[in-house]
Amino acid sequence: MTPAELSIPATGRDLRLPFGVALAALACAAPLFLGNYPLHAIIIALIFLLPAHGLNLLLGYTGLLSLAQAAFFGIGAYTSALLAVHFGTPFYVNFLAAGVVAGAIALPLGIPALRLRATSFVMCTLGFVIIGQAIAKNWISLTRGDMGLAGIPKPYFALGPVSFTVSGTVGFYYLVLVIAAIATLAAYLIVRSPAGRNMIAIRENETLAESVGIPTWNYKLLVFMISAAFAGLGGSVYAHYLTVVSPLTFQMYYSTTMLIIVLGGGAGTISGVIFGSLLFVGLTEALRVAPELRMIAYGFCLLGLVFWFPSGFAPIIGRFWSFLERRK
Amino acid sequence: MTGLPILDISGLSKSYGAVRAVDGINLHVDRGEICGLIGPNGSGKSTFFDCVTGLAKPNAGAVKLDGQDITGWSLSDIAREGRMLRSFQKTVVFSALDVEENLVIAGQMFTFPGILSTFGVGSAARNRVAALRERARELIKIVGLWDVRSQAAGKLSGGQQKLIQFASMLMPEPKLILLDEPMAGINPKLIERVVESIRLANMSFGVSFLIIEHNIDVVTSLCTRVVVLDQGRKLAEGTPDDIVQNQAVREAYLGG
Repeated sequence: MTPAELSIPATGRDLRLPFGVALAALACAAPLFLGNYPLHAIIIALIFLLPAHGLNLLLGYTGLLSLAQAAFFGIGAYTSALLAVHFGTPFYVNFLAAGVVAGAIALPLGIPALRLRATSFVMCTLGFVIIGQAIAKNWISLTRGDMGLAGIPKPYFALGPVSFTVSGTVGFYYLVLVIAAIATLAAYLIVRSPAGRNMIAIRENETLAESVGIPTWNYKLLVFMISAAFAGLGGSVYAHYLTVVSPLTFQMYYSTTMLIIVLGGGAGTISGVIFGSLLFVGLTEALRVAPELRMIAYGFCLLGLVFWFPSGFAPIIGRFWSFLERRK
Repeated sequence: MTGLPILDISGLSKSYGAVRAVDGINLHVDRGEICGLIGPNGSGKSTFFDCVTGLAKPNAGAVKLDGQDITGWSLSDIAREGRMLRSFQKTVVFSALDVEENLVIAGQMFTFPGILSTFGVGSAARNRVAALRERARELIKIVGLWDVRSQAAGKLSGGQQKLIQFASMLMPEPKLILLDEPMAGINPKLIERVVESIRLANMSFGVSFLIIEHNIDVVTSLCTRVVVLDQGRKLAEGTPDDIVQNQAVREAYLGG
């Protein structure tokens, strides 16, 4: 046994488990002490957590910067809205369909886009958002153009003879909480799998990854699709929450929000992204009290973040853990 | 099959415009052999390696690996198969990852049957990774990096990174490894370590080697047979002693 082997902190896991349990309990009890408005802000944050997890897989783990998340978010929202409005399908069908459609559309988009080099790839993914919005505006027979699709039903479940509708802020909060927890678990399992290790290898050095037999291009395409599916799922929940979708669902602002969540929270970490989505979406909602100054204040917050915490909040969370461990 | 050479190259040629970088070279590497490839700068050694490993397309000739014709295969086709691996003069490692992780990554694609299976989180996937980790640790001991195995590869010295690269190449259990100047730019103490690692890999795993090297002491102590290239052609071939005595080789390369 070398000293390094002996010094593996055995307390690491011990601390994380009670914290996780406490956090889960806090999340479950939140409606007891939070009003509707804070709950609404958390719901939006948890919805944005889905595309952010997707982007984190792509950017944080595989090293590909994509601005297309808003496009897939929009595709998911419209898929869900069209199914619900035209066919009255239950929520889980719309939800899964939104993920599958967004992931499937990412395939033909990813094949040409991933052949481009870094900056061209970013520009190309930006193009997808603009094209998406143009289609939503102009394919009027399907999307009703700028009028958007209204009257999307609240999430409705039908399992055999039992059917119920999730309505009200508290009900929706619990639905989104469950979805966000499952998505977080899925993202965690992906990054902990051997594929996650290969993704990190691609991020670190693509040429070397290729030379140790990793089919880098296939991985990038697959992760691009998975990331799109995450965004599509988020879009679906968003549509059912707001009960209306419009071409504004495809907006660059959403892509940048997701980017800020990932970079600000800490790219390449799961906990950082959760923290980032709560902080940044919460922040924009909280700043609504000063509407004139809102975007300016938000901009200054981002500048401060870039200057003081260039790798996001993940290292701070890490330092917090080690501080607790030392105290123990 | 065991009588066949592991690598059999016949009439390999490669021209860049009017320059015949490699000119009709015949070369073979026997099973379990450590073969040296020497020659002055610009004699076509690296081009020869490039043509054998699919980085460059030869104009003529055939490359047979383990009896199978692999002429014209791409570098990634050959790399993905894992039977023949090569190193480059420039050492590259996954700098941000620790030594053990570097090795596990190097072996991963050769243990998992396909890209989708790598997303598995069940016991099958875990067992595969555990086996890889065990092999990685064994190799880390062989190349003498046990004490630094949890450190980021980028923080280690150039020589240690070379050893990581070498150990990584052993992860997929290859039959043949082509090394391009493995001793370039590392200190004498580590040279001994690299020589010893190559010898151990050769003896314990039966890996054959074809090594380009300028350090003639290393070549004579390590190789059982040496091939000399000059201006794209094979100048001589024989045991290290023969080569050192060879008048033509002394004039073209060794000097004096």
